[in-house]
This record gives sequence, C-alpha cells and structure tokens, in this order.
Amino acid sequence: MAMGLTLTYMTTKVPNFAYGDMVLLGVYSSYATVKIYHSNPYVGSVIGLFIAGLVSVAVYLIVLRPLARRGASIVSLMIATFGVDIGFAGIFGIYTDYLSNTYVFNDPKAFYTLGPDFSVAGYPGIDVAAPLAVAAVVLIVYLLLTRTKFGVTMRASIENPPLARVLGINVDLVYTVSWFLAGGLAGFAGAFLTLDLPFLGVNTGNDLIVGIFAASVLGGLTSIFGSAVGGIVIGGSEIVMTIWLGSGFGYGGAVLIAAFFLLSGVYMVRRKTYQSKAVGAILSILGVWVIADIAAGLPVDFLAGELVYGFGSAIINPFQVGIPLVIMAVTLLVVPQGIFSVNFRRLLGREK
Amino acid sequence: MAFDLLSFVADFTSFYALYLAISLSLNLEFGYAGIPNFGKALFIAGGAAFAGSITGRIAAWALGVSKGDFITNNFAIMGQVNQLLLGDPLLMVALVVIGLAVAALIGGVFGYIMSYPAIHLREDYLGLLLLGMAQFFQIFLNTYTPLVGATQSILTPNPFYYFSTLNVNDLVDVMFAFAMGAFALLVWVYVEKTVRSPLGRVLRAVRDNDDASSALGKDTVKMRRNALIVASAIGGMAGAMYTFQVAFVGASTWTRFAWTFWPFLIVIIGGVANNKGVALGAFFFVLILKGLEQVQPYITPYVFNTNVNFIQDLLFSVLLLMILYLRPEGILREKSTETLARTELDKITGSKGNAMSAPGPGNESETRNDG
Repeated sequence: MAMGLTLTYMTTKVPNFAYGDMVLLGVYSSYATVKIYHSNPYVGSVIGLFIAGLVSVAVYLIVLRPLARRGASIVSLMIATFGVDIGFAGIFGIYTDYLSNTYVFNDPKAFYTLGPDFSVAGYPGIDVAAPLAVAAVVLIVYLLLTRTKFGVTMRASIENPPLARVLGINVDLVYTVSWFLAGGLAGFAGAFLTLDLPFLGVNTGNDLIVGIFAASVLGGLTSIFGSAVGGIVIGGSEIVMTIWLGSGFGYGGAVLIAAFFLLSGVYMVRRKTYQSKAVGAILSILGVWVIADIAAGLPVDFLAGELVYGFGSAIINPFQVGIPLVIMAVTLLVVPQGIFSVNFRRLLGREK
Repeated sequence: MAFDLLSFVADFTSFYALYLAISLSLNLEFGYAGIPNFGKALFIAGGAAFAGSITGRIAAWALGVSKGDFITNNFAIMGQVNQLLLGDPLLMVALVVIGLAVAALIGGVFGYIMSYPAIHLREDYLGLLLLGMAQFFQIFLNTYTPLVGATQSILTPNPFYYFSTLNVNDLVDVMFAFAMGAFALLVWVYVEKTVRSPLGRVLRAVRDNDDASSALGKDTVKMRRNALIVASAIGGMAGAMYTFQVAFVGASTWTRFAWTFWPFLIVIIGGVANNKGVALGAFFFVLILKGLEQVQPYITPYVFNTNVNFIQDLLFSVLLLMILYLRPEGILREKSTETLARTELDKITGSKGNAMSAPGPGNESETRNDG
C-alpha cells in the first residue's frame, strides 16, 4: 500500500490524504463480490485493482491536475485531497446504505472477515497468498520501472519533467498511468484485507492511513523500494510490538529496542545542532538504560505492564496505530529523507 | 413536526459561534502564520477530553459523591453531581472556569509539543504527521478507559442543567447560543487585535518570506511556535465549550472530518487570512449544514434512506473543490496592510509635509501573495 502512496507522492509531490479511500474501494469491491455475486474474495482483489486504479486516475485528472496547472500551492492541493477524502466518506456511507437497503444486508458498515478462504497445510490461504502477492507486485513494479521502456520514461518524467517533455515523452500520460498503478495497488491490498483483518468497515481506511503514511515516510517518500521495506518494517513492528506489549518483551525484543535507541541516538549526536545532540543523548541514555536492565536480569516487562494499563480489551489495539506513528515521528525528525538516505557506513565511523 | 424557529435560530447561533471560534484560531495559525494544521482535531479533542474528565472528577470530589470508580459508575455519579450542583452555582462557575483553563493549558501544551516538528518539517511532511497524530489521538481516546471511558463516553458537569429544570421552552438552546456567542466574540476580538498589531504583521512577514524576516531580526521560529500554541489553546477551549454544551465527552465525536476539515473548509470558503471572510464562510457553512438537516426528511427517501451526514460530506467535498478551482482566494481576499495616512504620519513625527523618514510600523517586508 505504501508503494502506491509513494508513487503518487513522487509524481505530484502531494501527500494524498484520500489514499485510505482507495484501499476501502478494494475492501468494498471484495465485499460486493463475495456477498452479492457469491464469488471468491480473490476475484474481488482483481476487480478492486481495476476499480481503485480507475478512480485514482479520475481523482488525478479531475481534481489535482487542473489545480496544479493553476499554480495551486502544495497546501491547497493537500486540502483538495482532504476534500476528496470527505467526499469518499460520503460515497461509502451512501453506498453501504444502498447495500443495506437493496440487498438487506445487516453489516455493510462493519463486518467480520469474509469467507470462504482456502487453506494450505492447515494455514489460512491468505497467509500464503498475501506474501506471494506482495512479492509478485514488487517484482512486477521493479521490472516495470527498470526493464521496460515505459519504466525509463516514467523515472525520467518523475526526476525532471521539463527535460522529459523536451525529449518527447508524454509526461501527462506517464503521470496518469502511475496514478492508476497507485490506486490499483491500494485496491488490491484492500481486497486482501477482507480476508486478513478480523474487523472491517467504513472506518478501516481511517485506521490504516497512519500506518501507510508511516511506511512511506520511513522508506523515504521518493523511493518505491524504500516504501516496500518501510511497509514490511511497519507491518512487522506493529504486530511484534503489540505482542510484546501484551505479553512482555523478552530478551530478544529488549535487545532490538536498545539497538534501535542507540543507533538513532548516535546518529542524532553526530549532527551539528544542539537540539539534535540533546535528543540523541536522550535516545542513547534510553538505549543504555534498556541494556542495563537486561544486564541486571530485569526484563522490561515492568515498563510494558505500565504502558498497557488501562487499555483492557479494545477491538483495535491503540498501539497498533501508535507504533507506526512513533516510528514516523522519529523518522521525520531524525532522517527526513527515509532510511535509504542514511549513510550507514558513515554512521559506523568507517568513512568521514 | 412543526418548524420551531426560535430553537432553530438558537441552535444555528451556537453552532455558528463554535465554528467561528475554531475557524478563527485556524486562520491565525494557517492564514496568518502559514502553518497548515491538519491535526486541528487533536488540539480540540485534547482540550475537550481533559476538561470534561478533570472537572467531573473535581466536582465529584468537592461534593463528596463517592459511588465507586469514576468511569464505571459515571452515569450514577454525574447524575448525583448535577443534582447537587443545582444548589451550588458558585462551584459550577468555578468548574467551567477550571475546565476552560485546563483545556487551554492542554491545547497549549500539545501545541508546544507539536511545534517542534512544525518548525523543522516541510509543509507536506508536517501535514502527514499532524493528521496521523489526530487520528491516533482519537483511537487513543477510544481505547484508553481512565480518561473519557473509551467507547462508553462519560458525562461532564452540566452548566445548563439549571435552565432545563425551569421547563421553559427553548430556554436551554438560547442560553447555549449566548454562551457560545460570548466565547466566539472574545476569540474574535483577540484574534482581530492580534493580527492588526505589529505582531500580526510580523507573523505575515514570516509566512511570506522566512529569510527576509529573520534577516530583519525577527525570531521566526519563536513566532511560529507561539502562533501554534495560542491557536491550539483557543482550539482546546472551543472543545471544552462544546463539551460543556452537550455535557458529555466521548471519543467518537472527534473525527478529522468535523474538527479539521470543516474549519479548513470555512477558512477556504471565506478567505484565507481574512477574519471577516472567515465569519462569512462560517455563516454559509452552517447555513448549508443546518439547512440540510431541516430538509433531510424530503431528500433521504430518494437516496436509499441514507444518513444526511453522507450527503453533507459529498456536498462539502464538491464545494471545497469548486472554491479551490474557481476562487482560490475565497470570498474575501486578504487585505494588504494599510500604511498610516500621510496626515497621521505627520502628526506622529511632528513635522509638516516632509515625513519621508518616518519608518513604517513594524516589519514591512511582506508582499502580497495571492498568486
């Protein structure tokens, strides 16, 4: 999903707030496929890809391009995508009411995982299909960008639009196609969610968007593969941290956390300004503290216990959203250009 | 269902005043200081949640109501508290004041925290971060029980309970309207005073040309930070006012649609960095909103019996895009700062005729910027 957002950002330099709705389009095309046509959710994912892709193109052509041509600033484009987001909220609201009315469903606004899913060696099929699909998508996009003529023109148009135009590349067409790809990826991912998340509904897009932003930012808003890595890190950290916070960190987790604090701490301390040095120092101290805890044989479970107090049995664990947010904030303040911009060799002191 | 004009007008006024106050604070930070605060809902919700929760606890403690856990037995506790408060108007007033102070404090603190990224990040990254923060805060409220009881919501002391016991038709609505109106008026006076002062001119100078104003010795970082803190504090107070009006606070209220998008819409309709425009924009906005609510029974049967909110959303979305497309500067443009009249300048400098050396008030490095 983050790949798509990065793609739109790269082409228009505007963060697309309406991106969660593209995901929702996928969710609901899957829903409609299963509930109305009694078909398989996987069929829905393909339909979702095309619907979301086309809608995304429409948003670009109808809303953003005319505005950008009129010289609207980044902020007003952001507000425009925000407006589109609200419009979609209305459309989904009306659509779900349409579903309830016409087909007498009682759950279109909030439903549980759709079935039926096939199973592979005892595991739900989605756990096999989703990683495979992601790998396939990454591979296809990678090949598209690096091995085809279109990919070359696309990268050229993104990096230097006027020059690309001079060379006879149809930049507008390229942008349109990349918006299609972006929306399509979101719809595709959204359709998979209907099999994966336990609880979905019209608010799913809202809940997800923080994670999507975080993945994109972590990967650097200008690198597609960065965002794929970012997506994996964010997704993984959400799940892992949620489990840790639920049941205590254990040693491996604590070591990882310490490493994270120390790395970013050292990175910040090496910066020039005092604020950066201060933040870096705090992070480093936190890291040392965690290590000291481990050394003293105290697992950090106490800390985790403090943190989860009061949250009880919530449907959505707030940490599932909070963690990507924290990662995003730290990323933005420490390495605004994303993880791929970090010069890891300099960080380790090998290179001046 | 007969149309109740007085009730409609009162409802309209209080809603208008609430959104006027919020939009004015947004205009201060977005229009004048140039910080696109896509997390407005965060500050409003923060003020509302803390004010509601803390005043309820204080009231229960001061009146000696103890019926077990504040959250789980909230309805029973607050029911008794509101009854007891009828005989203690002084405490009620104190609670409202405390609530507003807490809200302003929380809004300001959140503003201070968020000002760190706000100053260091570019607009687009900042937008992502603030939007994410607001979204996270809503989810936090929805799941963290001790503050506002997670999904169940909590009641707060009801300052208008006395009026509803009088059994006079629409009296409560009218009192709401007066309270909100007074609040909005204060905000209006404050914001208008600020932006017309030399400080306001510095803010606009910083917005329009960061480098030039810092070259002229203005602390741009401090300017932005203070604008964000003040605007957030006002937002928090508006949230608290709303909480006292409806006398309960929960998590589901604070969506980014109602508390971030709507204020932005108002500012965009009315005119960025023009308070009169914002007042006008808020008027049109509330007119559409409340008007739609009135005609709801005549529309929705044709649209799958949907909730009128969704039609609103769609309509506002189209409206915003139209405004951005057709008249990006809004109904009223930003006015350029007027320099003093020649005669005034002469009076100040004490010279007749030759006032060329009179410096302009404040920092005049700003340029008009309406693309």
